[in-house]
Amino acid sequence: MEKRNEHIIVTEKLKKVYSDGGVPVPAVDGIDLTITQGEFSAIVGPSGSGKTTLLNIISGLDSPTEGKVWLNGNLISSMSGNELSDFRRDNIGFIFQAYNLIPVLSVEENIEYIMLLQGVPKEQRRQRVERILEDVGLTGFEDRMPLQLSGGQQQRVAIARAMVSRPALILADEPTANLDSKTGAELLDMMRKLNQDSGITFVFSTHDKMIMERAKRLIILKDGKIVGDENRE
Amino acid sequence: MLNIWMFIKLAWRNILRNKRRTFIASTAIGIGLASLIFTDALWIGMENNMVESITSSFLGEGQIHRQGFRSTHEVELTINNLDKLVSDLEQEDIVEHLTLRTTSFGMISSPANFSSINMVGIYPPTEKHISQIDDVITEGNYFEGDDPHDIVIGNKLADVLEVNIGDRVVMTVAQAYTGDLSQEMFRVSGIFHFNVTEMDKGMAFIRLDKAQKMLGINHQVHEIAIKFINHEYGRDKQLPFWDKYSKNGNEAVSWAVILPQIEAVFSMSNFSIFIIGLILFAIVSLVIVNTLFMSLRERMFEFGVLRALGTRPFVLARMILFEAGALAIISIGLGTVFGFLVTYITIKTGIDYTGIEFVGVTFRHLLYPVLQVKQFIIYPIWVFILTTLVGLYPALYAAKMSPANAMRKSL
Repeated sequence: MEKRNEHIIVTEKLKKVYSDGGVPVPAVDGIDLTITQGEFSAIVGPSGSGKTTLLNIISGLDSPTEGKVWLNGNLISSMSGNELSDFRRDNIGFIFQAYNLIPVLSVEENIEYIMLLQGVPKEQRRQRVERILEDVGLTGFEDRMPLQLSGGQQQRVAIARAMVSRPALILADEPTANLDSKTGAELLDMMRKLNQDSGITFVFSTHDKMIMERAKRLIILKDGKIVGDENRE
Repeated sequence: MLNIWMFIKLAWRNILRNKRRTFIASTAIGIGLASLIFTDALWIGMENNMVESITSSFLGEGQIHRQGFRSTHEVELTINNLDKLVSDLEQEDIVEHLTLRTTSFGMISSPANFSSINMVGIYPPTEKHISQIDDVITEGNYFEGDDPHDIVIGNKLADVLEVNIGDRVVMTVAQAYTGDLSQEMFRVSGIFHFNVTEMDKGMAFIRLDKAQKMLGINHQVHEIAIKFINHEYGRDKQLPFWDKYSKNGNEAVSWAVILPQIEAVFSMSNFSIFIIGLILFAIVSLVIVNTLFMSLRERMFEFGVLRALGTRPFVLARMILFEAGALAIISIGLGTVFGFLVTYITIKTGIDYTGIEFVGVTFRHLLYPVLQVKQFIIYPIWVFILTTLVGLYPALYAAKMSPANAMRKSL
């Protein structure tokens, strides 16, 4: 248990089997994985290798068929729906491929949404939004609606939203897939800097070479199994 | 925790995201609400019209008789303590008009034919405030002179007797106590047409004093017909008035007691409106479910994102319920305006059912719907509650949805 507490993510014999027309299809097949606090890691592999399923289970968005997941020392695979919601709210930030900001909320409202769920007082929310927008280079964009922003700007807002509640872990699914290479590189450098400054753990799921080049650890998946684990520190 | 304003803000912004869909859905719900408002207003107008047709044609809104008279029509069953009763009634604040009548079965004959009728003795100056005999005279006049031998009969009776204005007829009735026959010759001075067969064929009106003399009842009468200052009093069976004047062997009854079948028809029709309401609401429910599910399907991924960010299932369900509430508010706005306009226009123009008979009552006036404040409170509240209740289904559906399933194509 002590060892589990040292790591932000620990999975034990993790297995997820889907049924495809009655035929069992293992998406994740007995994965044992540990990720340490502050890592800047990428899970890579071809389509269908199990990257998405693994991230879903790690974040509590999906439940494993077998095995256990500890996140920040908590066994999340046995949590109820509400406990998982609260746990994600307080411990995990998400960055999605298509940004996925709430279209009816302004930049400021999108960023403060999680803090609203957490019950953070208004003044504190305002200060934190101001600071994080400065960090991602979007000061002055508070009142803009998502559709009024470019793809790169929307992804910056998504990063701000993921970071603002100061989670222990940020899971990023193909965060550069919809961006041009220059904007993607800028954002990756920004995320790396935030990782170094704040110590927040970043785990990417990606095909992008730019992310693979910048990641300090590459976890390679194939057919639901880890076939490679490359540490570049 | 999200505060109420955040829920409201999200609901309104989401409901206005797809303006065309929201407009179509809220128009459909609004039409349902407007239909309920209009149906209710129309039915109130129809009831009023029917009550007016029943009470103002001849019956009056209330009547006083000697106990037993209504069932036996015995000539000697005249009202007790008439003078005191009339004096008391004249002091009553809620009584606007009253008139005295005798009523007895008799036979009317002409050289050509004869017919069994109800001979009614009336006092023309007060009778015209209660009944509409004077309004429906088609030939001759309504007791304009002071000839005691004037008789006013219905057009169908005139046809049967083959008489016209100025022709002679003979009335035969049985006298009180003795049963002796009493005959008098009359001259047809007026012919009326109520468009109610029972009256047009079966009633003949003569002056009260003449009728009293023929029946041998001195100055007594069989019936006091009353018109109240508010027609609702006549329908109120619990009105203290009825008990107050049901004394000394007399009985005071509302028209609703005299014609219980009409009240039964009203009750049945109210139930019909309830059923219509249920059907309308069932249709409206399907519109709401369809709208919310279309919106939900479109935003499935978004709900997955909200859940991923830490929104509890119950909070997500509340968001959708608030959206249903926002849809209800827009629909109520449209429905009440539409319902008011349609009803108001119909009030201005009226609906012409005159001459049409419904459950034995002939509509005598244009039918005007009646707008009431309750129609704009009760039905909108129903719509709001229903919309929110119906919204529970998609809300729970979204709440139960696994975030991973919703976001399957991403994370």
